[in-house]
Amino acid sequence: MPSTQEDPAPPKLSSLSQLISAASASENPLAATTIQILHNLRHQHLWTSLQIHDLPAHINTPKAPGTIPHGSPLDSTTQKNNNILPTSLISGIPPHRVYTHPDEQLYMLEKGLHDDDLRQERLFVIPTAQGQPWSLHRMAAVFDSLAEIRVTDDGAESRTEQSVDPDKASKLAEYYYKKEQVRATGEWGGKRLLLAMVDRGLGGEGTVVYYVVQEGEVKPRQN
Amino acid sequence: MDLTPTLPIPISYVSGRYLLFSIDAVTYLRREHNICGVLIGTLPQIPQQNVFLGLPLELTPEEARLLVDKGVACIVDEAKAQLGMKSLLEEDCRRYLHDLEAQGLGVMRVQSDRKEQQREQTLKKIEAKKAKAKASKASAAAAPADAATTTSTSTTASHKDTPSAVVDLFAADERNTLSPNSRTSSSRTTASQPTMGITPATSYPPLSHPVSSSSSAPLLPAPTVPESYALFAHLHSRGYFLSPGLRFGCQYVAYPGDPLRFHSHFLVVSAEWDQEIDLMDVIIGGRLGTGVKKGFLLGGSEKSIDEVETEAERVDSVRTFSIEWAGM
Repeated sequence: MPSTQEDPAPPKLSSLSQLISAASASENPLAATTIQILHNLRHQHLWTSLQIHDLPAHINTPKAPGTIPHGSPLDSTTQKNNNILPTSLISGIPPHRVYTHPDEQLYMLEKGLHDDDLRQERLFVIPTAQGQPWSLHRMAAVFDSLAEIRVTDDGAESRTEQSVDPDKASKLAEYYYKKEQVRATGEWGGKRLLLAMVDRGLGGEGTVVYYVVQEGEVKPRQN
Repeated sequence: MDLTPTLPIPISYVSGRYLLFSIDAVTYLRREHNICGVLIGTLPQIPQQNVFLGLPLELTPEEARLLVDKGVACIVDEAKAQLGMKSLLEEDCRRYLHDLEAQGLGVMRVQSDRKEQQREQTLKKIEAKKAKAKASKASAAAAPADAATTTSTSTTASHKDTPSAVVDLFAADERNTLSPNSRTSSSRTTASQPTMGITPATSYPPLSHPVSSSSSAPLLPAPTVPESYALFAHLHSRGYFLSPGLRFGCQYVAYPGDPLRFHSHFLVVSAEWDQEIDLMDVIIGGRLGTGVKKGFLLGGSEKSIDEVETEAERVDSVRTFSIEWAGM
């Protein structure tokens, strides 16, 4: 006969679960994903000065009238799907460069610059979860909203470089000048985002995978 | 060989396939319009030998449509175009066959001329060698040793053997025409040789050109294409060569130049603007692309195929995203 022992107390929530339940009192189901990915970035990938940006509300509304013919079957599906658009983006500064365009790499090689010489740049991350509906329309909407996002500068980016020899400093200046120039032409790639996807399979073991997504045709890196 | 075929190029529509039979058209489209297609011709008797294929060239509906939209080509119903064969006059038939024979003769003559030239060159070389040997012999003879003469005779003997061996290599079928002054006899053999059989790949020397006004074959409308055509046209307008993507598990493979000179850059998959994409498919594509040193390119048009009015608008309405593994 089994002993009439009391059930053991349920195990304590993980610190991530505690964080999520404490931070996301909101009704938005995607807020938990955002927090989980932010947590992953901060503690597993050691990103700094992380911020969450709410996407402007209007990207969640259907396309401007006129672009879709009235009565089009797309109309209803668009509206239905749009309320599951990601509502926020994460931005932060990675400890190491995540992506270098092949032409940029070539330029850096010519100048004798290393990844570590450059100041780290703020990178944006789209938090998503496995199984979340997605479409080209959503992807384009996120990219379009990038221009409207304001980053509250906490001074981490504008930190002055450590004292370097003047030769390297001039090369760096050249590099930053060149970078500013190619920004307009898109020679070193266009807008860039990281797509983060949380594993929700098998009860969700919590793996997060990251993919670089760039607008336009950007030639692949020579890994 | 910068031949420009008569435009528009007739694309033969045969049982649902878009085919090109003219080698001039194939090279022209590849050179000037970045269209490669796929060669599908095998030897009729040994179709399992399919590593190196030849004419005809099969075009995908997208490629055919693009060429038609550009006004470079038009679609010809091949079955109807061939009906004109029956109404050919006997006189024309005979003249055409005679023409073919004359062509074959011409090819044969060119070939035998080349052979002749090669042989003459070889013979000249041998003569030069002989002269050299003689000179060395003379110098050796000048030396007063008796032993030297014996060695020099042995060398001339070996030289006597070589001419036949070398000539055999270049004109194995003309063993009996060995002596250098047998040119007249060899030209006689050429004349009596059978003419080269010419198999024309297209049927419009005897028939009129299918696009000319006199031809009765009706042109077909532009091919119907899948929704991915917008992305295809967009990438093509950016100078990419596109080929079918089955080999890499995608829709198209995009090359930044001629596939013979460049590795491909992208695995291309098209989606409709509001079509639901499983995020896992994005991950799969990104991972596969990174694994084969390519980018995964996801794209599509904001407008559906029939919504656009001009081709320029179609190309502009496309947005693409390149995806690579971030490595973290």
